[in-house]
Amino acid sequence: MSTRQRDSTDGLEEPDDDKLLRDRVRENPRPAMVWLAGLAFLLLLEIGRVFAGVGQAFGIVGFTVELLAGIPTSVGDNVAGTLGSAAGFVATAITAVLMAFAVTVPVSASVPDAAVDILGLDLSRRGHRWAKRAELTFVVVAAAGLVAYTPVGGAFSALIGAITGGVDALASSLPSITSRELIPNAGHRLPEGGWEGTFLGLSPAAAWAIRTGLVFAYATTVLVWLWRGFDVYRTHYRLADWTPRDDTVRRFRNNYWGLFGFAIVFLFVVMALWAPAVSPVEAQHNIYEPNSHEFQYLDENGEVTSTTHVFANLDSRSDGQNTIGPMSYDDYNRWAPLGTTNRGQDMMTHLSYGARTSLVIGITAIGLGALIAVVLSLLSSYYKGITDIVTVMASDTIQAVPALLLIMLVSVVFQEANHPIAQPLDGGLLLALIFAFAYWPGMWRSIRGPSLQVSEQEWVDAAKSYGQTPLQTMRKHMAPYIAGYILIYGSLLIGGVIISTAALTFLGLGINPPTPEWGRLIDGGQSYVSTSSWHVATIPGIAIVLVVVAFNALGDAIRDAIDPEADVDESEAAATGGGA
Amino acid sequence: MSQNAASTTTGDEATTASDTMVKVRDLKTYYDTGGLLSDRPVKAVDGVSFDIKRGETLGLVGESGCGKTTLGRTLIQLEEATDGEVLFDGTDITELRGDQLYEWRRNAQMVFQDPDSSLNDRMTIGEIIREPLDVHDWKTPADRRKRVKSLLDEVGLSPEHYYRYPHQFSGGQRQRIGIARTLALNPEFIVLDEPVSALDVSVQAEIINLLEELQDEFDLTYLFIAHDLSVVRHICDRVAVMYLGNIMEIGPTEELFTDPANPYTHALLSAIPKPDPTASRDRITLHGTPPNPRYPPTGCPFSTRCPVRIRPDEYEGLDDEIWTGINGLREIIRERMRADRSIRERVRERFGLETRFATIDETYDELFGGLAVPDDVERVLSEVTDAAGAHEEREALDRLNAEFGSVCDGVGPDGDGDPVEPEYYEVSDSGRLSYCHRHADEHRETAAVLDDRS
Repeated sequence: MSTRQRDSTDGLEEPDDDKLLRDRVRENPRPAMVWLAGLAFLLLLEIGRVFAGVGQAFGIVGFTVELLAGIPTSVGDNVAGTLGSAAGFVATAITAVLMAFAVTVPVSASVPDAAVDILGLDLSRRGHRWAKRAELTFVVVAAAGLVAYTPVGGAFSALIGAITGGVDALASSLPSITSRELIPNAGHRLPEGGWEGTFLGLSPAAAWAIRTGLVFAYATTVLVWLWRGFDVYRTHYRLADWTPRDDTVRRFRNNYWGLFGFAIVFLFVVMALWAPAVSPVEAQHNIYEPNSHEFQYLDENGEVTSTTHVFANLDSRSDGQNTIGPMSYDDYNRWAPLGTTNRGQDMMTHLSYGARTSLVIGITAIGLGALIAVVLSLLSSYYKGITDIVTVMASDTIQAVPALLLIMLVSVVFQEANHPIAQPLDGGLLLALIFAFAYWPGMWRSIRGPSLQVSEQEWVDAAKSYGQTPLQTMRKHMAPYIAGYILIYGSLLIGGVIISTAALTFLGLGINPPTPEWGRLIDGGQSYVSTSSWHVATIPGIAIVLVVVAFNALGDAIRDAIDPEADVDESEAAATGGGA
Repeated sequence: MSQNAASTTTGDEATTASDTMVKVRDLKTYYDTGGLLSDRPVKAVDGVSFDIKRGETLGLVGESGCGKTTLGRTLIQLEEATDGEVLFDGTDITELRGDQLYEWRRNAQMVFQDPDSSLNDRMTIGEIIREPLDVHDWKTPADRRKRVKSLLDEVGLSPEHYYRYPHQFSGGQRQRIGIARTLALNPEFIVLDEPVSALDVSVQAEIINLLEELQDEFDLTYLFIAHDLSVVRHICDRVAVMYLGNIMEIGPTEELFTDPANPYTHALLSAIPKPDPTASRDRITLHGTPPNPRYPPTGCPFSTRCPVRIRPDEYEGLDDEIWTGINGLREIIRERMRADRSIRERVRERFGLETRFATIDETYDELFGGLAVPDDVERVLSEVTDAAGAHEEREALDRLNAEFGSVCDGVGPDGDGDPVEPEYYEVSDSGRLSYCHRHADEHRETAAVLDDRS
């Protein structure tokens, strides 16, 4: 290069331009330490729940792995049934290898090249890529084979069992500040007045309010602390004093409609995550197994008596004649902040666990569907031609069947067959998968135009002209333009999924009892709307509306925030507004 | 002016081999080939041959849709060539695949026309210019960052712009960013696809000057695609004039501008506004529009609009307006031959109703209405219109060509056989080539005929 260039580089020399984050933290450890200590303290406060969450995550991962691991053998069995056992074995092996390969493709880019260099082959760039994938596939298949067909598998599952058992034991033994044991609200009146068994002898209502307040205070603190973490990083450790992320955050902070959406979604998510803490009675006692759990109460004769939840629920139904409304106690000294359902269960408990159900279904369905839609739209708009035609045909075929009908048919087929997918959440997971399958064509259609448009941009040609790989071109030059569309469409649809789940459950098709679901509450309360038990259908109805609106608002705000050009209009508008 | 017919592929190979960087031979780029619906491809580039010498700027001019951008994109392998070869330092790059192509791409880059569309708005300037370096795994990330900052300096921007976004820049600045990205990998050859046509005139000059400075500094070779002839005259060492996928004339810039040889070059240059009000030669008006590249004319591509078409000797004295009419008639019959008549049209015609196709008699009246057509010409023309009226377009066209056709329409001296195409004639000592029958010894030169006919 010319001398002129070297001169100019010297002038720009920034001493710590290429230091790693680790080195920068080591140089100035204080802010990072303070923040980390705060985070550790916060986690310690809820250590019991943290481990419970880890245990739950283990459960989900284990279930998914088991489900996927079952695919090769079930394919093999099907083939073996028609073509003989040898063919079945081959089919099992091929399916397993294909699945392992599918796993390695996205992962291989982050595996160091040294993994291939040890083979000592002289490979081209493309050959190198494929060699790495093949190598990883081999490793995955070998590991899976070891687990499936050798004694190693037994040791492996014993190890997994020990770890999960340990986590569960820790979860139940470690304390957390929002736990029911620390702030109990279930107790009974004493004949001489006052309460027995509640937190500090307060009334159950006060104890519950303290616990719920603590949950939201804690969640908010965590959020604020995470925000502070970003702030600490920005002021102390980031090289650039400004990056686009700052603008994204600033734009989002100034969008009040978006903040409203964020607040509601935050409430919804916190309610779902801390469902055991915000519910006044334990769901296990009140909803799932009301037969086997007794509790004490002060009966009308002034004696402390014991009864099961089944009988208590029968007397506490809100069904027009008899109403336990919001902010009241039932006859069994149980506090019902949102009243009871038509079956006598506690509404707040039902609502918070129902939020869990809705959240899991919504996120699974939209996440999976959006993933399929984005991948297909990128592929079909980059390669065009036959890829595009095949995708169009596939999506048209799915869309030709009325969505609700398709969902009902598939869900009935799986539930009748008692398929393992239909077990979790009493059909909730099955519903999520079906939603993903039924909704991806819609999402794909809605982003097809934008992705075709962006694939025609000259910067895609430019990327091709300097040899960028198709995968990277799609990721860097096309996907960001589609992200905005899929976010807004996904957030619209997540509301749709929540409503559809509720609607199906309302019709008695979606999620079976006992898993709590908002749609079933509305179904149960619909005939009492004009009676004194109006709250049974109204409260979950309002909750659904709020959550759906909030998701839309949030999606809108995120789209505006990540679009740098939205800023131009805003400042122009501000300038003209100021001038006028 | 020497009029020796020189075949392009043989004559210059020996002399220019030493300093030739890009050698294009009979390159064809067709679109829609092998489609399900049509077997007639769009012939965007239809057999061009030329050389680009190391360190020179070759201009490529022509009207919109003549295939110049496609040619540029084929040279850097953004489009796949249908046929022919592009030799880059002796390697045929149309044959490169996979890794070889990836390695070669360092050498040839492109500056795009539209600065709004050529930069990804979601990436910072730094990321944009860095990407080629990342793709080719150039040194360490820190080195790349330094290189980007020095490139920014090189193209007249400042290193603080690293974290800005494209939409914060003006068109000219964006084009500078595009140029910086192009330079990142130290290419030898750059295709400039109308790099200034989307910019303000004042900014155009700055960008042109920047490009010239960079060329001197880094020994770059340019293919400069443009339709602004004055810019081309300023920056280019040699110019190729393109029409309908063919190069009509190629040679040193000044010579080509002052003394054009090809009729199309004449016409193109006459379109430059002249500041001198007493300028002698009138503007040459071309009739009609360029033919559809899916259905190029047989023979010379320019034959349908050429002001100096070669005419059969017996009709040489015929009035110019009648010739215009005859050419118009030929185009209309060609057009009618391609158009499919729907069933509805056929039924309407049967019942004597008006159809989309004006009757050929109306066309005839329109073309020759007020003209005094000699009897022998009129006799032939009425035969032609009769045949066309009966939807025997092929026969009508044959009749028309037999009587009025010449070597320009691909009609050979013996009247049949494969269509004859023009050859490249060397029209000056500098090796300037022109694609026109007029340079053959038996025909008169273009300039003389132009003077006669105007």
